[in-house]
Amino acid sequence: MSLVTLHNYLAVAAILFALGAVGFLARRNLIIMFLSAEMMLQGVALNLVAFARYRGNLQGQAFTLFILTVAACEAAIALALILMLFRRRKSLDVSLWQDLREPDLEPIVDEEPLPAPPEPEVLPHLTPAGREPDHPREETSHV
Amino acid sequence: MFDDPRNYLWLIPVLPLLAGVVTALAGPRWLRNQSHWPCIIAAGCSCVLSFFVLNAVADGFYNAKEYYTWFEAGNVSIGFTLGADGLTAVMLVTVTLVGSLIAIYSIGYMHHDPGYARYFAEISLFLFSMTGLVLAENFIVLYAFWEGVGLCSYLLIGYYFTRPSAAAAARKAFLVTRLGDIGLLIGILLLWSNCDHLLDFQNVFEIAPTFEPTLRMVICLLLFSGAVGKSAQFPLHVWLPDAMEGPSPVSALIHAATMVTAGVYLVARCTPLFGVTPGAQLVVASIGGFTAFLAALIALTQTDLKRVLAYSTISQLGYMFLALGSGTRNEGHLLAGLAVTAAIFHLFTHAFFKALLFLSAGSVMHAMGNVIDMRRFSGLRHVLKKTHWLFLCGAGALSGFPVIFSGFWSKDEILADALEAGSPGSFGSFVYLFLFCLGMLTAGLTAFYTFRAYFLTFWGEVRVPGEAGEHAHDSPLVMIAPMAILALGAVALGLIFGPTGIFNHFLETYWMKKSFEHLLPEVEKHHHNLLVMTASGVLALAGIGLAWWMYVRKPAAAKELAQTLPRLYALSRNKFYLDDIYGAFVRLLAGFAQVLRVIDLYIVDGVIDLLAQVPRWLGMLARPVQNGLVQFYALLMMLGLAGFLLSVLMR
Repeated sequence: MSLVTLHNYLAVAAILFALGAVGFLARRNLIIMFLSAEMMLQGVALNLVAFARYRGNLQGQAFTLFILTVAACEAAIALALILMLFRRRKSLDVSLWQDLREPDLEPIVDEEPLPAPPEPEVLPHLTPAGREPDHPREETSHV
Repeated sequence: MFDDPRNYLWLIPVLPLLAGVVTALAGPRWLRNQSHWPCIIAAGCSCVLSFFVLNAVADGFYNAKEYYTWFEAGNVSIGFTLGADGLTAVMLVTVTLVGSLIAIYSIGYMHHDPGYARYFAEISLFLFSMTGLVLAENFIVLYAFWEGVGLCSYLLIGYYFTRPSAAAAARKAFLVTRLGDIGLLIGILLLWSNCDHLLDFQNVFEIAPTFEPTLRMVICLLLFSGAVGKSAQFPLHVWLPDAMEGPSPVSALIHAATMVTAGVYLVARCTPLFGVTPGAQLVVASIGGFTAFLAALIALTQTDLKRVLAYSTISQLGYMFLALGSGTRNEGHLLAGLAVTAAIFHLFTHAFFKALLFLSAGSVMHAMGNVIDMRRFSGLRHVLKKTHWLFLCGAGALSGFPVIFSGFWSKDEILADALEAGSPGSFGSFVYLFLFCLGMLTAGLTAFYTFRAYFLTFWGEVRVPGEAGEHAHDSPLVMIAPMAILALGAVALGLIFGPTGIFNHFLETYWMKKSFEHLLPEVEKHHHNLLVMTASGVLALAGIGLAWWMYVRKPAAAKELAQTLPRLYALSRNKFYLDDIYGAFVRLLAGFAQVLRVIDLYIVDGVIDLLAQVPRWLGMLARPVQNGLVQFYALLMMLGLAGFLLSVLMR
């Protein structure tokens, strides 16, 4: 593998990393942030693989395998955490979680609010195919 | 194992320590009202071992062994070195024998007390400290045990700690003795720095007598100040009467027989040093003589039976110091040996008869429902027959009733030594002569106040306070038997050791000849002075007679006398106002401390608080960084990393 080819790989890795970083810093959706973090990891992993290929040994490859493993574990934990956070606030907005700030600081509120969540899609109301028979409720209940 | 005392010497203090630990751990839960067993077994074993030691010493054993190195730094090495010579053996036998008897007595006295286990644990701890104190062959170890007995004294005076007066008395005892202990500590440090950093007795007593006179004097006085605190001599005697707040067996063991004699032991142990410092001896004798007289005067008018005994203890300790200080240079030869044996002999007999008196007082207290004020009972010889006879034995010994009782023999030796020190031509002879007269006067006073207490308690019409209940009864056998043994000691010891001089000979042969032969007179003298004996005997009888006349024959006479001399009576009744003077002084200091407190609280602390504000203000600047937004933290992290990378790359 020549130096030029290596540069190409490194460029792609850097782009991946930078995209991830920007995504992590700029997005507010927890899942998107998590994906961005993953993207940064992949950028680094790509670096390692490229160097391993260039140097002609397997150290970088082995490293990458570890990164993948750790990333898998991390994903499990992070998604679980995100799920719990979502249950608490019914939202994935990261800016809702500023509780660990200094007690006398005001929370930071975005000047530009989030776009309103899409209306839940209204499903067409279908008329029932048959008619429920009249029968006294009490008799059917078997407590 | 028993051929060499070094094999079992360490057991003497360690057994009571083990007993104390066992009682403290297992006593309250499992042993409960059997808690006395560990203490009594350990004390008994120690007592037997002490007799073995005495026997070994009489066979010529005189050796020390380092059992354990306490600490080592550079060329300083302090070890638990225990050794036994004549003086130690005598002290050991006294302490363990009296201690065992008092522990047995306590079974009856402390019966049904909620703190039964605690009591015996503390008594065991005390026996550990006291035996350690006399076995120590090293000033540092001695000081450690010295503080140990102080601690035990504190714990036992404050035994009834729910009573505020007992707690206050315990505190007072601890703090007042501490005043003297500071002197002792400084004295030891001075010895340390001047004796090649070796504080073993042997080394110190080889080097210290060669110091220049001023230094020697200072060291002697500092060591003596420790003894003044521990042995309750003027001006630090005020704690001992208050220490009577503790249980009576404690008063007998600690505040009459053993701990308070630690000061006498210390000065006696340092005879090689004191013996060559006449100035210090004069101070010791003066303080001793003066204290003996002062305490006797105060004892004349006290109404609390135990307090009378406490003042008599102070007075008798004063006698011992008078003897210790009388060993001065006389006509070319030194009296140190004679005088010191007299002091130790008095210590020995005093331990028996004063413990007996306190136990008898405890027995009275036991029967009277804890009432000890002599104005509230009388005529008890019909109620407490056995206690009456035992108390009479103790009183006879304390007052120096001629020939029969031990106090007579030991006190006369002291007076004879004081007189000899006062013979013309010797150093400070006028002072010693004066002290001798004071001692004679005190002998009369002692007889008077002892029998005043005796007659007030046991003679007259039978009156029993309401607290005693319907049937005031004599104490059980477990209390009477130890008292009987002590009474036997109070009588027989004098007759055995007094006229024969065995005791003095023993101390001279097995202690003094080994450690400071040069201080002994060339010719061995038997120092019974017939003139002194007769005079003091007559004075004692006169005191007893006067007490009989004033309190039995004409009970009104005492009141009349008090009314004719109101000033003097009030002075004695109020202990010469010494407590009040000290109280005023302490209040003055407390006021000063209050001022210092304000300064500390508002000025010193204010400055410190102000300084502490600076980091706080700095922190205020950095606080907005903590805004809780995870992305902000990530951004800072990345900026930081970028800055770091840049700085690495640009370099």
